[in-house]
Amino acid sequence: MSQTLHDHDHAHDHPAIEQAARPGYYEMLETAVRELLVEKKLIAADEIRRQIEVLDSRTPALGARIVARAWVDPDFRARLLADGRAACEECGISFYDDTSLIVVENTDKIHNLIVCTLCSCYPRPVLGLPPDWYKLKPYRARAVSDPRAVLAEFGTIIPDNIEVRVHDSTAMVRYLVLPKRPEGTENYAEEQLAALVTRDTMIGVAPAQIQGSAS
Amino acid sequence: MTDTENLVTRLPNDIGGLPADRIEIVDHELEAWEKRCHALADVLDFQKIINTEEKRCGVEALGAEMVGKLSYYERWIVAFANILFRKQILTPTELALKMAEVEARCP
Amino acid sequence: MVFAPKRQLGIVYAVGEEPAFGPGDRIRIAERRPVGHYRVPSYVRGKRGEVEVVIEPPAIDNEEEGFGRNAGVRRHYYRIAIPMIEIRPDYRGSRSDGLRIEVFESWLERV
Repeated sequence: MSQTLHDHDHAHDHPAIEQAARPGYYEMLETAVRELLVEKKLIAADEIRRQIEVLDSRTPALGARIVARAWVDPDFRARLLADGRAACEECGISFYDDTSLIVVENTDKIHNLIVCTLCSCYPRPVLGLPPDWYKLKPYRARAVSDPRAVLAEFGTIIPDNIEVRVHDSTAMVRYLVLPKRPEGTENYAEEQLAALVTRDTMIGVAPAQIQGSAS
Repeated sequence: MTDTENLVTRLPNDIGGLPADRIEIVDHELEAWEKRCHALADVLDFQKIINTEEKRCGVEALGAEMVGKLSYYERWIVAFANILFRKQILTPTELALKMAEVEARCP
Repeated sequence: MVFAPKRQLGIVYAVGEEPAFGPGDRIRIAERRPVGHYRVPSYVRGKRGEVEVVIEPPAIDNEEEGFGRNAGVRRHYYRIAIPMIEIRPDYRGSRSDGLRIEVFESWLERV
């Protein structure tokens, strides 16, 4: 069973959507629009299928590999911070759109948090599609006025002596957080390091941690 | 500033800084049509039929009630229909007839 | 890369080619409230900040792009740093907390 989520404040029950049920109104609308555009030869059915494969291939695992590499290779880290898109492309992660990528690093002095208040801008080529909470009102409204409370709702408490820096992506630039490498990982191989890097650490709502440690 | 002036000059998606509820850390696996809708957006952009900014503008133009009541991809597909009408790529009648055809195929 | 000063080369820059602002410039985001599409959120209008980075190369105004206008004069976007205390005077977090946001040149005023 899946539910679609609505972007308003009051709660109400959503009808359960059963597998192989009659398509809903919006699914029929999508089908009709797509078929008409294909009939008019403005798009090809194959292009949609291919783009679904592209989207399915973009997951946080890609971003995790970039972060792990930056943790072990200082020269790569420098290139990543200078031009995020070029560094990703160097690792074989193509950008299928015109966006650029800025990677912002968490340090002992700065904790970065990414939001798009106006819509849902997100570094999709390197992280895949954003989670629902990122696109809904509470996060988008409050990240820019009460970032520490927002972080606390994810279980992340940032000490007062560390600056919280919120990036609101409104233009062509997309952001990725380079989380701090956790203590005690000095002997980890790059693959093991990548396994510590979750989507939420690259949005900035959580720090990277060794599995099983207290949050 | 009167209430209606605010309706006119503040877009329904312009919510940064407004009061809001506690965050519910929710996510869902995209339904097949939602993923097709996302792919459609990307293909329309690549083909220079509807660019990303036009899409955003189209979603905003749905107005506060629809933006509040429709889900994320529901907003996209309605916005696409409206933009395609405006660009004279589709007509409302064409779309309605095709939708009836699609519906007739369903069990 | 080293450029000879333009007076030696005798070149004239096209409209918008040179950034109007540079890193460190103190700016204010305009207060205007357009009807229709915009990409500068209300919560930063009228706020003062500093240019952190000039984003290169110059690009199309994304507000114009919303109407399908992919041509037009390119100008710069700037990453603006605004302290959280400027976003909301009653901010209770750390005084060093801040916001970064990209703003198109047409929305910036020098202070």
